[in-house]
Order: sequence, then structure tokens, then C-alpha cells
Amino acid sequence: MAATISISRVDIDEVLRYMGCPPEKAGEGLRALVEDCSRELLAAVHPRWAWREASLTHEAGGVRLESGFLLPGADLKGHLSGCSRAAVFCATLGAEVDTLIRRAERRDMTRALALDCCASAAVEELCDQIELELQSKFPGCFFPYRYSPGYGDLPLEIQEELLNLLDAPRRVGLCTNESFLLTPRKSVTAILGISENQLEPTHRSCLGCPAREGCQYRKAGGHCGL
Amino acid sequence: MDFEALLRGEAPVILDGGMGTMLQAKGLKLGEYPEVAALEHPDWVKDIHRSYVEAGAQILCANTFGANREKLRRTGKTVEEVIPASIALAKEAAADRALVALDIGPTGQLLEPTGSLEFETAVDIFAQEVRAAVKAGADLVMIETMTDLQECRAALLAVKENSDLPVMVSLTYEERGRTFLGHSPAAAALTLEGMGADVIGVNCSLGPREMPPLVEELRRWTTLPISIKPNAGLPDPAGAGYDITPQEFACAMAELTELGVKCYGGCCGTTPEYIALLKKALDGRTIQPYERKTIPAAVCGPNTVVPIDRVRVIGERINPTGKKLMKEALRRGDVDFMLGQALEQTEAGADILDVNVGLPEIDEGEMMVRVVKALQGVTDAPLQMDSTRPEVLEKALRVYCGKAIVNSVNGDKETMEAIFPLVKKYGAAVVGLTLDKEGIPKSTKARMDIARRILDTALSYGIRREDVYIDCLTLTVSAEQEGAAQTLEALRLVHSELGLKTVLGVSNISFGLPARPLINQNFLTMAMTCGLDLPIINPNMEEMMAAVRSYHLLMNLDREAREFIAAYGGATISTSITATGGKQAAAPMGGERSLGQIVEAGLRGEAGECTRKLLESTDPMAIVDDVLIPALDKVGADFEAGRVFLPQLIQSAGAAQAAFEVIRQTMPAQPEGTEKAPIVLATVKGDIHDIGKNIVKVLLENYGYPVVDLGKDVEPEEVVRAAEQYRAPLVGLSALMTTTLHSMEQTITLLRKANLPCKVVVGGAVLTADYAKQIGADFYAKDAKQSVDVARQVIG
Repeated sequence: MAATISISRVDIDEVLRYMGCPPEKAGEGLRALVEDCSRELLAAVHPRWAWREASLTHEAGGVRLESGFLLPGADLKGHLSGCSRAAVFCATLGAEVDTLIRRAERRDMTRALALDCCASAAVEELCDQIELELQSKFPGCFFPYRYSPGYGDLPLEIQEELLNLLDAPRRVGLCTNESFLLTPRKSVTAILGISENQLEPTHRSCLGCPAREGCQYRKAGGHCGL
Repeated sequence: MDFEALLRGEAPVILDGGMGTMLQAKGLKLGEYPEVAALEHPDWVKDIHRSYVEAGAQILCANTFGANREKLRRTGKTVEEVIPASIALAKEAAADRALVALDIGPTGQLLEPTGSLEFETAVDIFAQEVRAAVKAGADLVMIETMTDLQECRAALLAVKENSDLPVMVSLTYEERGRTFLGHSPAAAALTLEGMGADVIGVNCSLGPREMPPLVEELRRWTTLPISIKPNAGLPDPAGAGYDITPQEFACAMAELTELGVKCYGGCCGTTPEYIALLKKALDGRTIQPYERKTIPAAVCGPNTVVPIDRVRVIGERINPTGKKLMKEALRRGDVDFMLGQALEQTEAGADILDVNVGLPEIDEGEMMVRVVKALQGVTDAPLQMDSTRPEVLEKALRVYCGKAIVNSVNGDKETMEAIFPLVKKYGAAVVGLTLDKEGIPKSTKARMDIARRILDTALSYGIRREDVYIDCLTLTVSAEQEGAAQTLEALRLVHSELGLKTVLGVSNISFGLPARPLINQNFLTMAMTCGLDLPIINPNMEEMMAAVRSYHLLMNLDREAREFIAAYGGATISTSITATGGKQAAAPMGGERSLGQIVEAGLRGEAGECTRKLLESTDPMAIVDDVLIPALDKVGADFEAGRVFLPQLIQSAGAAQAAFEVIRQTMPAQPEGTEKAPIVLATVKGDIHDIGKNIVKVLLENYGYPVVDLGKDVEPEEVVRAAEQYRAPLVGLSALMTTTLHSMEQTITLLRKANLPCKVVVGGAVLTADYAKQIGADFYAKDAKQSVDVARQVIG
């Protein structure tokens, strides 16, 4: 079971980029607003996560977890080459964050956007901490970056099975809806490959992202991180 | 053996322990669905049940926790196969030594508003389970491991509407004393007892040592027996398993007899050994039949309980009577307007919100459901359902999560017969007006007689005395000057002689007189000293909230004057009330910024005041055409050129919105039928990410386009219906994720099939211009600004 992780800050520049504004172009007022929203957001966050280790079998159609579930597609398979195990995890900020954003949308859209983007940054922060926590459980091992449904050709449809595998609805209150979107909204599922051997360094990139063309994060000189 | 007798007896009732962990020990693999075991490994299931009976369990949960059609979908098995088989196995193992419960766990999907599962769909999913269990001969139902009080309500309603079985209901809480969704034991207790649960409790998540605070909170808010089924301690951080032994578990559980817990069992990680030792530890203990204390009068939403132990303000603003803008919003189906009104009132200090959406030309029931759902998505304040129509009240009560107030019944027999059954079924509180067919009686005695009649009738329906609130009715003092004193006297008597909570609409007192705030404020103070608990007022009127705060301070209800000082510390309070219409001094404008500059700078706070000032000398349409639109255009052009960015664009839109609001209030109502046809916006079916669509809405409205916002997760048929009904020239659809693009395509196909003359614009993160064309959209807007350009091109 997962150790408690708390989030005490979010990166304001990152939030500004998520909002579609290059950090250097944000005035004092906007920056103060984002800082205020980040405090409000962090007070509403109840981070929870769950994980499970699984051994992997590389097959023609993808990578099979020891539970028998196939993670389909070539991209994840390529990403996990050299990994004989993986840590599958999920993380959520909780439903109260959704309520906070919904409430702000009725009063002030700028605040709502800022809160929404603070939440995206907070999920990233949470995942970064989880990754470190998991890495510490496998000393001497090597890890490619975490990989989520929706990256490359790994379909969102596998969310339901990943959550079932992690017993996520019961353990952390994380579910999917009929379109395989995670609820509460500010949540992530991911696969962290584990290798006994040194790996070629890889970087996350926007290549292969379906949202690349109209992406406001790229417009603001960054990336979504998700 | 019967359930009633078990509960009535002095001994603790022993429940069973974990099923999932036991099945895994027998060989069930990770990720496999345990419910199917009844069909594939019946001997495992029967063995486990039998060992629990031998350990002393008096109630067995059949292996049906996830046996609902949603979760079984992936197994290829049906509810009608799994539930009878599971119950039969438990009954066989029990061999009349134990009762068998249908175990109902969550559907696995989150309900609205966090998820997209609709309340009635959830009721239907659970109803199917209940019907199968009744046929299979279950003795009772155990609803458990719920994290959403609304899902609990759906399951409980399904049980009540499809069986006569007794029902235990149990939620799972985190260490902070709340469920994952933030719902509290107090709200669960009030709501579930009101709706007819037989036992309520706590299971899963925590160990027995974490139970006492949760049990104590439940105890404060319910008279029902309490059950607990904790895990075998807290999860072991090092890996699988839990941190306490069967012996420790039994000892910790036995201590809970002191708190009056009636039913004892285990959840994850517990085994027959835990239950056997638990039984031994409980042996010889008796549960003191808990003192039948009264539970205080209170109402609640899922997160917030509002006890009526001091003056609680009911905000009256969500009511179209005499409000032009709200009537327009209701006709347009613009629920956001109501949400704005709600938040404004709670920020001003309202504890409870009255909700009235009655307009002759709209479907009041359907609107009520939409508004109640939407309100519960943004505010924790409990709601008061205000309608003259019982069928509207029932719809509202059904979807409301918590304990609501029904406004209202009166002393008339037929009204009570129509409304009290609803109040009872949904566990609400109710306002009784002291009038009947004969009208409002003049004498205090006659009003007291009606109040008594209402109370007695309510009690005969099984409604708690504490849930009957009496409204002695305010008469306009300009018409009947002796009326105010009579109302106050009746109020005093209801409070002191009947001991009931009281409600009063205050504002009518001053109708037709000058200096209305002065009269309202004083009447409110007089009423509070006579025992008024629930004034229905406009909390945005500072005088009214000041009266309430002062009353709390002076009556020692606001300890150490904390709230009073928080509200007024450092503020200068004007002690003189000027005549209505007295002009407030305009706030000085720092540096005399023009309205155009204010909009460009996105200064929402200054925009309204500046507009008000400008209106003294300028025609409203000229302000729109010559100042606001050009300012928005300039910001829009800067956005496109990359000189300003999305946050600034939205801030400018927000400032313009504030200016438009001021202008709209001063403009005469448009004659019927001449309003511009609106643009219909929706986030498509299956998609719950709607912030982008909401940004588009704000921008469109600021360019003067009326918008009908259908919200998120909208069925294609609903989009078509709205486009047709409002003769929309333009429909805007948003989808964020690849998995919901097909819903967008379906919606467009359906719009085309209906042969509507509207154009369609689409947007969202994963869309491209090519894809938009491919799915048959007329336009693709890559950002909110472009959607305005599209509207201009289509509508002008």
C-alpha cells in the first residue's frame, strides 16, 4: 500500500504555461492571482495513490502484465524494451478539487482557469514524487520515464482495466466513466518500467501527441507534462 | 432467526469477515472478478461462508459486492445468473444458522457531478440487483463500502422501492473522518435514517482503532443501531496485508461496546479466525439499548450539516417572482444564472438556499432537477425546495443528496396528504404554513390551531417532530397594520408552547412603504427575539445580515464575538439608513481610466462602477458599440498576434461581462419574440472536461451573443432538441479527449439528419481542422477567440 504523499507547492511558471501565458509575459497581477489560486487549490487537495508491481512479457501486440492483461501497441512496447518488470500506479487529487474549479467557473473564469492549471501542475508534482518513491523501492534499477494511456498509441480504453488491477475505486476512490475518462478529473494512471540494466536515455516529447497542432502549452513555450 | 429479533436483543450481532482476501487465498488471481466465483468456484465460496458461520457469524454477506450489470459487463455474466447462485451458496452454508444478505457495493463509476453516471441510472442498476435477490430469498440487504452518499441514496431507494427487506447501510471513511468524496458521517446519518435505513455504519478503509471518532459522530446524529466492519488494521506500508493480529482486532472491537455499537464484523484482511476471536471477546457483553435521545433539528448536504441551533438564514433570491433577469434565464434554460445567485448568497452569509423555479411557460419539474443537481455541484449549502406542485417537489427531493426542506404544506388536508408522504419517503424537513382553505386566520389562536393540526398530521406519517418548521406568515404592514404584532405573537407561541422550529419570510412586511430596509431589519430583530429560527431573506442586504450577526452576538451565540469581529472589525458601519433611491457616492476612479482601458486591462472590479457612471451621460447601446466591443476587439487582435495570452483575454472578458451586467439591468426588456436567437453550446456525451467550453461561453456573451449552455456530457438528442427549440443559428461542440470525438461526430450526424438550418463549430484539444471537416463540422475554432470570429461570420 502506498505511503502518504503531500504536495506543498506547485511551480507557478509551469502553471502560467499551462494557462497559455509565457511566464515572462505575466504581469504582477496575474502572477499574484495564480499564487493565490495555488494556495486555495493545495488546501482542497487530498492526494491518494496506489500501485502494484507486475512482471512483463513482451509480445507481438504489446506488453503483457502478469495478471494476463495486454497493454497494446508498439509505442509502449518500444518504451519498455529492456524492462522485465513495471510498477503500475494511479494517483488522484480527489473530488473536492473538481468542486472547487466548478465553483470558480461560476464566479470568475480567470480564477477557474488558474485553479484548473494549478491542479494539473499538482498532479504532475504528485506523480514526480510517486516516481521517486517507487524508484527508491527498486535500488540499483533503471527507469524510463512514466508512460500513461493516451501517450503514443496506448489507448485510453485500458484505463478501466488498469484501475481494476489496482483496485483503485475502493482504495483511492478513482473510477472511469463510460468514455474511459478518469473521475475525479485531476488524476493519472501510469506505467513505470523497471530495468536491471542501464537504459538509453529517452525524453518525453510532443511528437505523437494527438493534441500537438492546436496545443496552447506549446504556444506558451512549454508542454503539458501529461 | 430474524433480523428484527437480532437487533432487539441485548447481545451484540456478529457479522462475517472479508471475502476477497479469502478467495485470493483459495486461488483467485489478481484482476479477476470475484463475483464470478459463485459460478466458477462454488465450492470455494461455500467453504468460506461455512467457516464464517462456524466462527459465529449471524449474518453472512453473499458474494455479490460487485454483482451489478456495470461491473459484470466485462465478465460476460448477468446479474440474474450471479446473484441467485451467490445467495443460494450462502444460504446452503448458513443452513438456518445465519441470515443471508444481498451485499451491494458501488457501481464502480462515479455519479454526477464528479462522474457522469446519472442518479436514476444508478437507482436502476441497484434495483436489478435487489429484484434478483428478493427472488433468490435474501433475508436482508447490506449496502456497503460506499464513498458517495448519493450512490448510497440510490441503492437505498432501490431497496425500498423493490422490496420489503431490512437494510443496513455502511460508508467507508478516511482517517480525516470523511469519505473520498468529502462526505461526512453526520450527513450520512441524517440522510439515511430519514430515508428509512434500519442500521447504519462504517466499513473498510480503517482498522478498529480508528473507529471511535466515526462511531461517536454517527451516534450524535442517529437513533439507529450502528454497525462496524473495519479492516484488519491499517494497510501495511511495506507491502500487502494489514497491521493488526486477530487477537488485537478482537480486543479493539470489544472496547467499542462502550460506544453502543450493535453489529460487529470485519472487512478486508479479516478471516474466520478474526471473527471467531471477535465472538469470544464479545461473549457475555450486552449492548446498552442506547438512550433514545432526540436528534437535534438539522438539515444537510453531503458535506455540510446545518443544525438549527441558532438563527440560520435561508436565502430567498433563487425565485423568479418579480425578477426579470431570472425569468429570462429560466426561459433560456441558463442554469448558470441560478448558480451565480447561489454563490452570491452563500458568500453573503446564507446557510440554506430556497429554490423556486416556477414559471408557467417552462417545465418546472425538469428545470428543478437541473437546478438542484447543478447547485449541489457548486455549493455545500442545504436546499429548500419551493414549489406548489407535489410532483415537482418529488423530483427535487429524489435527486437531492442530503436532508432538504420542503416549502411547503399548510393546514389543508389535501395538501398534507399529497406532500407528507414525500417528506417521509425522502427524509426531508417541512415548512407548515399557518393557513388553510379559509385563508390566513387573523387570531393568534387560530394560527396555533393550524400549527397543531399540521404537527399532528406530520407525526401520524412518521415524520419527526424536529423536522416540522412552522411559518406564521408575514402580512404587509401597510395593508394590515395590526398583522405584524399578531404574527410575532403566533411565532412566540409556536416556539414556546409547541417547541417547534419557526420559519418566516420577512421582506413582505414593508411592501408599499418607504425605507423598506429599515422596517425589514427591525421586524427581523423583533421576530428573532420571539424565537424565529429560519428567516427567509435576501442575505445580500447588508442590514439583514447585520441584524442576524448582532442578534447572535447579543444572545451569546457568537462566542467571544468572533464572527461579529470577523465581519465588522475595522469597518465603518453607517448607522443611518437613507431613503431608498438615495444615491451612493460613486467610488473615485483612480487616475480616471476610461471604460475601454479598464476592459483592456481586465479590471473586473472597476468595470461595473465605471459603466454606471458612464450611463448617466451615454446611451447604453453606444457604450456597447463604441466602447466595449472595440475594446474586446483590440484584446482579441492582440491575443491573435501573441501580444496577450489566454488569461488576459479571459480577464478582459470578465471585465466586459461586469459592464454588460450593469447595462442589461438598465435596458428595457426586449419585447417577446424579438430577442436574438441564441447559440447552443455543449461538451459532448461522455466528456466531462468543460472549462474550454465555459471560456467560449463567456467570450460569446461579451460580444452580445445570447448563449444556451447545455453543460457537459450532453446527449446528442439533447443538442438537437435545443437547436430546434431555440432555432439556433450556430451550435458549438467541445470534446477534449480522443475517446469522445465519436460522440461529437454522432451529434453532428444527428443535427444534419434533423435537417436543421444551423451551422456547427467544433473545438477542443485533440481536434484539428482536417478532423473537423471529416466529421462534418462547418467550422473549426482553434481557440475561444476564433469561436467569436465564427459567430460573427455566421450571425453577424
